[in-house]
Amino acid sequence: MNDSLRVVLAMMELELRRLRNDRTEVYTRAVQPVLWLAVFGLVFSEIHAIPTNGIPYIDYITPGVMLQSVLFVAVLYGLTLVWERDTGILKKLLVAPASRYAIVIGRSMSSGVRAIIQVLIVIPVALLLGVSFIPNPAYFVVALAILFVISGGFAALSIIVASLLKTRERFMGIGQALILPLFFASNALYPIALMPHALQVVAVFNPLTYAVDAVRGLMITGNLALLPLDVAVIALFDILMFAAASLSFRKIIE
Amino acid sequence: MTFAIDAKGLEKVYKGNVAALAGVDLEVKAGDIFALLGPNGAGKTTLMRILTTQFKPTSGEAHIFGLDVVREGGEVRKVVGYVPQETSVWSDINGYENLLIYAKIYGLPSQSRKEVIYDMLESMGLRAAAEQLVKTYSGGMIRKLEIACAMLIRPKILFLDEPTLGLDPAARIAVWKKLASFKMEFGTTVFFSTHYMEEANAYSDEVAIINMGKMVTSGTAEELKHSLRGELIKVSVSDHHVDEHTLGLIRGLKQVNSVVVADATLIVTVEDAETALPGVMDVLRSAEIPVVRIATTKPTLDDVFLRYAGTTRAPGAASTTERVEEEAGGDHRE
Repeated sequence: MNDSLRVVLAMMELELRRLRNDRTEVYTRAVQPVLWLAVFGLVFSEIHAIPTNGIPYIDYITPGVMLQSVLFVAVLYGLTLVWERDTGILKKLLVAPASRYAIVIGRSMSSGVRAIIQVLIVIPVALLLGVSFIPNPAYFVVALAILFVISGGFAALSIIVASLLKTRERFMGIGQALILPLFFASNALYPIALMPHALQVVAVFNPLTYAVDAVRGLMITGNLALLPLDVAVIALFDILMFAAASLSFRKIIE
Repeated sequence: MTFAIDAKGLEKVYKGNVAALAGVDLEVKAGDIFALLGPNGAGKTTLMRILTTQFKPTSGEAHIFGLDVVREGGEVRKVVGYVPQETSVWSDINGYENLLIYAKIYGLPSQSRKEVIYDMLESMGLRAAAEQLVKTYSGGMIRKLEIACAMLIRPKILFLDEPTLGLDPAARIAVWKKLASFKMEFGTTVFFSTHYMEEANAYSDEVAIINMGKMVTSGTAEELKHSLRGELIKVSVSDHHVDEHTLGLIRGLKQVNSVVVADATLIVTVEDAETALPGVMDVLRSAEIPVVRIATTKPTLDDVFLRYAGTTRAPGAASTTERVEEEAGGDHRE
């Protein structure tokens, strides 16, 4: 097996094993998306304030809430690298026979493991709240794959930000400053057409928009017209982020 | 012959023009246990991280078993094991899982993986704790697990950055017994840094002292202590006057460097107290000077350290900072 792939898989397995021993974070992280659906989603479904092409509002935002969850996990996961700079783990990984790329991609994709588990908690809650998913297992698998892959890109983005951080005190604030703009300047909660022009421009360059569109199409609306574009943008985003994170990684280790 | 480590003119300048290494030359023989001593901030960790390919030197070159650490980093990493100063195992999985993940990262063949891991746990005395989460381990157990991780691939050379920092004496001895057995069993070269002089003295084949980014001296612990030329013989005589003639005779002895008399004690500086003592005693006996007490003092590695690396700050201050750091290290591992 290819050396780099082996390292990436080992790091993902590590994440699964860590999760098995400590699930509290999975549950506490689930509170926020559940509240978005149960409170925000239900209330806005009642008042029909946002045009959603005839789909109930809660159905409309379910993919957005899933991606918010993914974004949270990924960004905070990448930033924890600042912490690991002060432990020996990173140093020891650097001395293992693995390329820097493999370490960075392995770290980033490990966030996908956590993100998928987070999403799998949101789904039954959404079902209970009456969200109707398209009952197509193939669509479902592709949607999960997209969530997994974009998580890697966002984790890599936060590794780049982490490499610029001098201290770890500002960590939480910076995490929020990264997550919320990405979330609000996207089609997660409302169609882009409703936004002011400036925000629309941001949304077009926001990779989250494409992930939301893809997952919404696959899970809720069945509209897959833009799926090829979505996949292409997400792939490009990941490749760029992995490359940039691998380069900025050097700053973290020195 | 190929050295385990062969470095020439290594320099490392960090951002802001902080020179961590200012031209380090180093040769370490294969199969040796090599101790690197030096005050805090002398460049020990930087040197070790360059030799283990974690980052590049600003200039100079280094080879590990003939492999260039800059150009052949990938090959170097296949023969190198490394245990950093800070905790480097995952505390939220168990001991076996830690080794399993490293075994997979290192690409150990899957059919023998489990056996190799359990053998390693057994040999490090961690078999009983294998299924326990690492956060329940003591500092000594964590260190042993880290060494087990590094030894999984049977490296030709093992780098250890202050391996026994914050460990109790029993754990320190256990760690050293293990490291010595790797040398015996597999011929593993061991390169370690430490602040514990007695460890360098007891376990190393060779010692080097680094200060302010430069190697200031190297050799076996015996050679270094000997190089101080400062063994003392102190002879107390019962308020008997030692006349100039007798002193002259002692000064005339081949091995004696100097003689002074303070109160009723004769202080003779020699190169080797054990062989010089009979000659001194012969002179005193023939002059019929009654001797009350004889003491010899040999320089320790502490003296060597202070001579070569203790000039940058007051020795008292240095030992205080060291103690603070040790305590911090101890807390860190809990």
